[in-house]
Amino acid sequence: MLKKIQKHSNSRFEEIGYPSKKLENWKFSSSKHLKKYLSNNSDDKDTSIDNHDDEYTLCFINGEITLESLNKFIYKDDMTILDIDQLSDENICSTSSNFEKEALFHLGLSTIKSGKYFEFKKGSKFDTPIQILNFYSKKNEGLRISSFNIFKLNQGNNISIIEKDVNKGSSSFNLSLKKFICSENTILNHSMMYDDSTESNYLGYNYYELGRNVLLNIDSMNINSTFNKNFIDIDLNKEGSEVKINILNLARNQQHLDNNILMNHNAEHCISSQNVRNILKDRSTCVFNGKVIVADGAQQTDSNQSNKNLLLSQNATAHSNPQLEIYADDVKCGHGSTTGALDKDSIFYLRARGIKESDANNILVKAFAKEILQDFVNDDIRNLSENNLNHWIDG
Amino acid sequence: MIKIKNLKASIEDKAILKGINLEIPKGEIHVIMGRNGSGKSTLANVIAGNETCEVDGGSIAMNGNDITEMSIENRALQGLFLCFQYPVAIPGVSMAYFLRAALNAKNKHDGEEEMDAVQFLATAKKILSELGLDDSFLKRSINDGFSGGEKKKSEILQLLMLNPQLAVLDETDSGLDVDALRTVAKGVNEFKNDNNSVLIITHYQRLLEYIKPDVVHIMIDGKIVKSGDMTLVHEVEKNGYSWLVK
Repeated sequence: MLKKIQKHSNSRFEEIGYPSKKLENWKFSSSKHLKKYLSNNSDDKDTSIDNHDDEYTLCFINGEITLESLNKFIYKDDMTILDIDQLSDENICSTSSNFEKEALFHLGLSTIKSGKYFEFKKGSKFDTPIQILNFYSKKNEGLRISSFNIFKLNQGNNISIIEKDVNKGSSSFNLSLKKFICSENTILNHSMMYDDSTESNYLGYNYYELGRNVLLNIDSMNINSTFNKNFIDIDLNKEGSEVKINILNLARNQQHLDNNILMNHNAEHCISSQNVRNILKDRSTCVFNGKVIVADGAQQTDSNQSNKNLLLSQNATAHSNPQLEIYADDVKCGHGSTTGALDKDSIFYLRARGIKESDANNILVKAFAKEILQDFVNDDIRNLSENNLNHWIDG
Repeated sequence: MIKIKNLKASIEDKAILKGINLEIPKGEIHVIMGRNGSGKSTLANVIAGNETCEVDGGSIAMNGNDITEMSIENRALQGLFLCFQYPVAIPGVSMAYFLRAALNAKNKHDGEEEMDAVQFLATAKKILSELGLDDSFLKRSINDGFSGGEKKKSEILQLLMLNPQLAVLDETDSGLDVDALRTVAKGVNEFKNDNNSVLIITHYQRLLEYIKPDVVHIMIDGKIVKSGDMTLVHEVEKNGYSWLVK
């Protein structure tokens, strides 16, 4: 089945080509520099995964899961794990209609060597989060690494997934495709941590398909990425579901961070919130492209979208494009966006109590970030994020 | 304590203070009254070092040290405290964190050790209780979602915790009900002793029913036009400011 999907994606990519700035989703993010990366055909398994491979961790090297981590994985008996090629139902692999229009999504899908399907058994509740570590080897300089994995939660599942990228010092183009199927009455907490000191480029396509009464929390912190563009598309297809997205991005130098979020309210009585904050130093840039679509009949929708950008340099630039499309008449939807420097009155207030100007600035930056971090679901991720934030501010 | 000589200041090129002369000795409470727009709050901000105000001439000295060009934080560390008319809300920074940061900065400047958490909490809780505030006040973000009364009580909490040498109260009585006004006045009276000074900026007499000033100044169009005792307050209450305009 994989070959059939790849054939379709290959022809779609050939048809569309690399995205230009004329496209809404790429208006402020150039794809030009991504063209130089060649598809990774090597079979590098030499990458050291150090001491990361504990029993709660699934390790992927260059997009492929390691057998060692899979064998050791504590929850493996509570799951069905298959190669995507083994799936008979093509619908399991289908993704957002928005991604269907994305050339680089198709480029990624058409060039993966394999992918995994993880299905959690009905009723499984894991006390300890699953950690997913994506290792990218040193030999990936100039290469494009594509991966595609599908996670299916069944009724009663309560699963936390913490995902981190570990770059081993190469400059690669990491193209990550993921699908999450959340069946009725499930809870998924998905944390994404990007802390990359290499010159790598990251492009993520994350699709979440939600059934009835699902609670989905997405927490993400992005720090030190040269180029990081992350698509999050969510279909709330049945009533009673709730989605909370909290994203904090920190950028310096000429780093570029881009969040594309599409929230499709296709059913009644669903709630969603998007909170995205960017803090920019130097000549860095960020993009927030968020859209909420409330379909005809999706009554009693309650949706909120907020993007706040803090510019710590006169040369930093934030592009914000919050959008609402509402086709139902009994809904509560709000959106807002602010971009600006640190508030002078707040700095004066703190300094008037004897606090040094540099300390006052740092307190205010932390406070701005903390309003996102305090809503992170996982305590460890919140603490790690706060530490990363402190280092970034001091750095 | 503080000596202001021929102070001139402007905001966005508009002259506001046009030659202020004021001296407040240690142990005294002075009041400045005046109409809206006479420059009272600008004077408070210039004393505190607010950089939106441009000093065009004159000088400010505290305990004999010229602070006219001093940074905002160094003035505070020298013992100056501005009780804000409109305290800003800073979401994400708890009152406890803020107060400890301010106290630690002061102690460091004074060559003293940092106040430990136990001592800090004991001191803060005592003052909170006197101000009629719950201990949970410390966990709240600075002035975020505070009522008008809570904001002013928060300023008094900071005043009593930091124990400065000179407190400048910029319309601290505005927007307070009678009970809150009494509480705030009680806090100021508790703060006051023979070794510190207070400058109260106000429109109204009512705060002065609870805090007794030593000297009253009337400010009109950026200048102090008359000084006297409490009888001056009563005259203003009765006749307004018109009779003082030349």
